[in-house]
Amino acid sequence: MSAPEVHHLFHNPIADHSFSADRKTLAIARDTTVELYGKVGNAFKLKDELKGHDKTVTSIDIAPNSGRIVSCSQDRNAIVWEPTDQGYKPTLVLLRINRAATFVRWSPNETKFAVGSGDRLIAICYFEEENDWWVSKHLKKPIRSTITTVAWHPNSVLLAAGSTDAHARVFSSFIKGVDARPDPSAWGERLPFNTICGEYLNNSAGWVHSVAFSPSGDALAFAAHDSSITVVYPSAPEQPPRAVVTINTQLLPFMSLIWNGEAEIIAAGYDCEAFKFKGNEGGWQLSGTVEQKSRPGMGGDQREESALNMFKQMDLKGKVKDDTQLKTVHQNTITMIRPYQTNGDAVTKFSSSGVDGRIVVWTV
Amino acid sequence: MSIIQQHTQATLSDAWRTINIDALDPDSSVNFDVSSLSTPQPEISEADARQIAAQVRQLIRGGDPEGALRGALENPVYNGPELAKDTHLQTVIEVLQSIKASEMTPMLQRIYGTPGGPECLDVLMKYLYKGMASTSGSSHGGASSSARGTPTPRNMTPQATGFSQIGAGRPGAGGESTGGAMSVLLSWHEKVVDVAGLGCIGRVMTDFRRV
Amino acid sequence: MSQSLRPYLQAVRSSLTAALCLSNFASQTAERHNVPEVEARTSPEVLLTPLTVARNENERVLIEPSINSIRISIKIKQADEIEHILVHKFTRFLTQRAESFFILRRKPIKGYDISFLITNFHTEEMLKHKLVDFIIQFMEEVDKEISEMKLFLNARARFVAESFLTPFD
Repeated sequence: MSAPEVHHLFHNPIADHSFSADRKTLAIARDTTVELYGKVGNAFKLKDELKGHDKTVTSIDIAPNSGRIVSCSQDRNAIVWEPTDQGYKPTLVLLRINRAATFVRWSPNETKFAVGSGDRLIAICYFEEENDWWVSKHLKKPIRSTITTVAWHPNSVLLAAGSTDAHARVFSSFIKGVDARPDPSAWGERLPFNTICGEYLNNSAGWVHSVAFSPSGDALAFAAHDSSITVVYPSAPEQPPRAVVTINTQLLPFMSLIWNGEAEIIAAGYDCEAFKFKGNEGGWQLSGTVEQKSRPGMGGDQREESALNMFKQMDLKGKVKDDTQLKTVHQNTITMIRPYQTNGDAVTKFSSSGVDGRIVVWTV
Repeated sequence: MSIIQQHTQATLSDAWRTINIDALDPDSSVNFDVSSLSTPQPEISEADARQIAAQVRQLIRGGDPEGALRGALENPVYNGPELAKDTHLQTVIEVLQSIKASEMTPMLQRIYGTPGGPECLDVLMKYLYKGMASTSGSSHGGASSSARGTPTPRNMTPQATGFSQIGAGRPGAGGESTGGAMSVLLSWHEKVVDVAGLGCIGRVMTDFRRV
Repeated sequence: MSQSLRPYLQAVRSSLTAALCLSNFASQTAERHNVPEVEARTSPEVLLTPLTVARNENERVLIEPSINSIRISIKIKQADEIEHILVHKFTRFLTQRAESFFILRRKPIKGYDISFLITNFHTEEMLKHKLVDFIIQFMEEVDKEISEMKLFLNARARFVAESFLTPFD
């Protein structure tokens, strides 16, 4: 296993990050701006700043094929940034929400995107040719609280969403004229807009922080604030699920999770490092951490400090040992993890962003 | 002029400023239905709680503290009158006090390893916090303290001298005996965190099934 | 004494570490606002169960967690009237300078002597384990401080009484 690639960009929290398809451009949500970094050698250099929001940018996503960037913010707006020769051209999206926009993701076929909001609804946005404008349709029922996260099914119609009302839900976001009729699946056969294909309550009512469909789309995993991960296997439309497996961990809550194939989940959050879970319908288990703690230069070297140095530290800083640094690479909560390099369904590398202003690329 | 005066008369009382208009809107987030955050729980009456208590006591006397602990934790009172909840809290604390310090960790590890064990420890954690929160901590620390009663600082009458000696005329015993009961809970708390991790505390906070 | 202090502080430390899992969360009630939910109390679902850690009736800590902020209230040990006065003066001194302490709340919660308010912006700027260390250290030091102040006060009172009563000797 090779060492993780660490980029310490600044000392502000990174709410969300997204790489372009060629992995040469990195978009970062930093405070009220979207920053674009370009890869120069082995480092990332600030290339462009996209200014248009006037409150904290909460989420960002680059569409891999079209290169369009969509960002959303607590100022209730989402903006689509279209790449042109003169730079990025912003287009405001008609969201029709009056609370913060919290999360945004492009659908896999890139014709739509979903914006979660504090207005207790999800806006499904699509481009209307005749008006030359991004418009939206609202998924409203039965959401009762802020949407914290959304994730698309590979068929670009089904959408999973997690919310602070402790429910993870699966909706249909079928829009006539934009989507082709999807193949029937375990989630549902006929899928008009706003069909609820599944609604799952977290056992101890933790806010759902992250949801994800497995690569095949036949299982749903969600992480909640009660430090648990729940995996749902649906059986057939309108039927109770075949299996719902919950793992209550001893750790702090997870903020983000991704699937690695059908039998592994990688999750990271308040423990500042990523953990691996393995399992199937029969049961899931924590199988280990991604990070190896005993990296050279961390443990051994520090302990062999000279006595002179020790007393100098005590004299200057009034402390005996240096415990400001955490043992993990990330020094604060990991806010988002995303696949970086994939091989079929398997993730070979993934990237993580944290509140400490670091972007790290990990090898699984 | 007169109109303005009338206006000021009407607004002189500014009680209307303190009306929380959000509370009047059924769609407002203030009126979130908290009951939707948990599945309905069976209602347990005080008599049921007493019955559980009797069974648990039987197990303690029979020399099976682990069975007693499990029995108490598998039947938490989520839905019931305050009296039933308090009775059950008393039961749990009684069990906890009957277990020796050296047996705590091995017992918790055994429980954690069994199916349904982690949930039991979550419930135990809830009772530990509830035990510490109950201000009448003396009720399970022995009757002696409650008889004398500890004065709260608010009730203290400032004396002219203000220099009363430490402990003079002070019912120190009250604080000490509740301290004894608390220290049992605190040492259990430490052991449970060792076995079930911080996630256990997190679940106590998020869970709306409150004991 | 310190025998029961250690598990008490340990329990506070683990409860705080578990409670300090905050994220940025905009208000659901007020448009374009981002307020500490534990203070606003406008959305019941983002307020978590409050935790109490108590050592005895006179020493307790209340932790009120929410999605983007937590409130920690400490009841400092007061064995008699003098300690009560000293604690009052001491906490008053601190709360009047609340802005220099960043996480200090200007007014304690009813029934407690001093309160802290930690929001997600604090945990973003400062290291979480250091914030926890700070609270723990404060709790350790404040007892020491109060008993030192009391000894000092008694010594001075004795001295004053002596010199006051010398003429009547």
